[in-house]
Amino acid sequence: MVQSSVLQDSLQRFVSSTPDIQGAALVSPDGLPISSILSSDMDEERTAAMSAAILSLGERIGQELARGLVERIFVEGEKGYSILVSCGTEAVLLVLAGKAAKQGLLFLETKRLVAEIKPLLH
Amino acid sequence: MEILKIGITGTVGAGKTTFVRSISEIDVVNTDRVASDETALMKATTTVAFDFGRLTLNSGQILHLYGTPGQFRFNFMWDILMPKVHGYVFLVDTSRPQDFRASRRLLNYMKQKTQSPLIVGLTHADSHKAWKSEDIALTLGLSNFVTKPPIIEVNATNSHSVAQCLILLVEQLIQQGINVV
Ligand SMILES: Nc1nc2c(ncn2[C@@H]2O[C@H](COP(=O)(O)OP(=O)(O)OP(=O)(O)O)[C@@H](O)[C@H]2O)c(=O)[nH]1
Ligand SMILES: [Mg+2]
Repeated sequence: MVQSSVLQDSLQRFVSSTPDIQGAALVSPDGLPISSILSSDMDEERTAAMSAAILSLGERIGQELARGLVERIFVEGEKGYSILVSCGTEAVLLVLAGKAAKQGLLFLETKRLVAEIKPLLH
Repeated sequence: MEILKIGITGTVGAGKTTFVRSISEIDVVNTDRVASDETALMKATTTVAFDFGRLTLNSGQILHLYGTPGQFRFNFMWDILMPKVHGYVFLVDTSRPQDFRASRRLLNYMKQKTQSPLIVGLTHADSHKAWKSEDIALTLGLSNFVTKPPIIEVNATNSHSVAQCLILLVEQLIQQGINVV
């Protein structure tokens, strides 16, 4: 795997250049932190484990309830959004955004980030 | 008749997923992912959310089986699953004394989450490295329990052995007055 500083830079650029994005974390599919930009009150290890758990369940739903390949899990809260997307077999990406974020832009930028990160992971 | 929710818990590699898979009459909801932590030294994959299986007993009683993850980082799943169980099986790999302390800690954690009856299931008892049941009871601190839970050997890979374990647990539930039938 690449130096984690390269990944950290990608995440940092993504978070600071996209409006209303508040955090991002890259975790292994079994729930270990790889790299993250999160506010200090969020525990990196717990976040990683929760991300892996929810993505695995979402993927099960896609499979068992015949929804096909899951593109993303989207959790809409009162105060903002959490998005989970798979980055291939190597990682899961979590994106946190504020309520003001435009969904279309959010999805687009997330997709772009995944495309940027994926080749770095092999 | 109510559905009984049964938790299957224990430390990493104790045999939770195997246990549920051995007995479930439906395709088990599987959330195993490739292990990249120290679990990988033991086995290829690890549970990241939960295993879900179902078993109908001869009596007609339906059991819903929830296998938990084993690593502490997944304790939010323990918090979600365990308070809702009617009873649980606590699995211990008897051939890995290096995990006994973690087992004891986990058992205490579960005791905080639920007062439901439990059974301690000793896996890998067929291993030449297996510890004796009395010694494990001691290291787990089971004598501190108000009522000491039953301890039995269970081979998670064997459906007959798993069934025995679950039947014993259901008997416990009946004894303790949980409305089973
Ligand atoms: N020989 C023997 N093997 C067993 C026994 N019980 C379980 N196993 C094996 O031990 C391993 C247990 O793996 P899992 O079922 O994935 O363990 P788990 O508790 O779900 O692990 P995590 O989800 O990672 O916490 C499997 O390879 C089983 O075949 C037993 O009694 N005897
Ligand atoms: Mg498992």
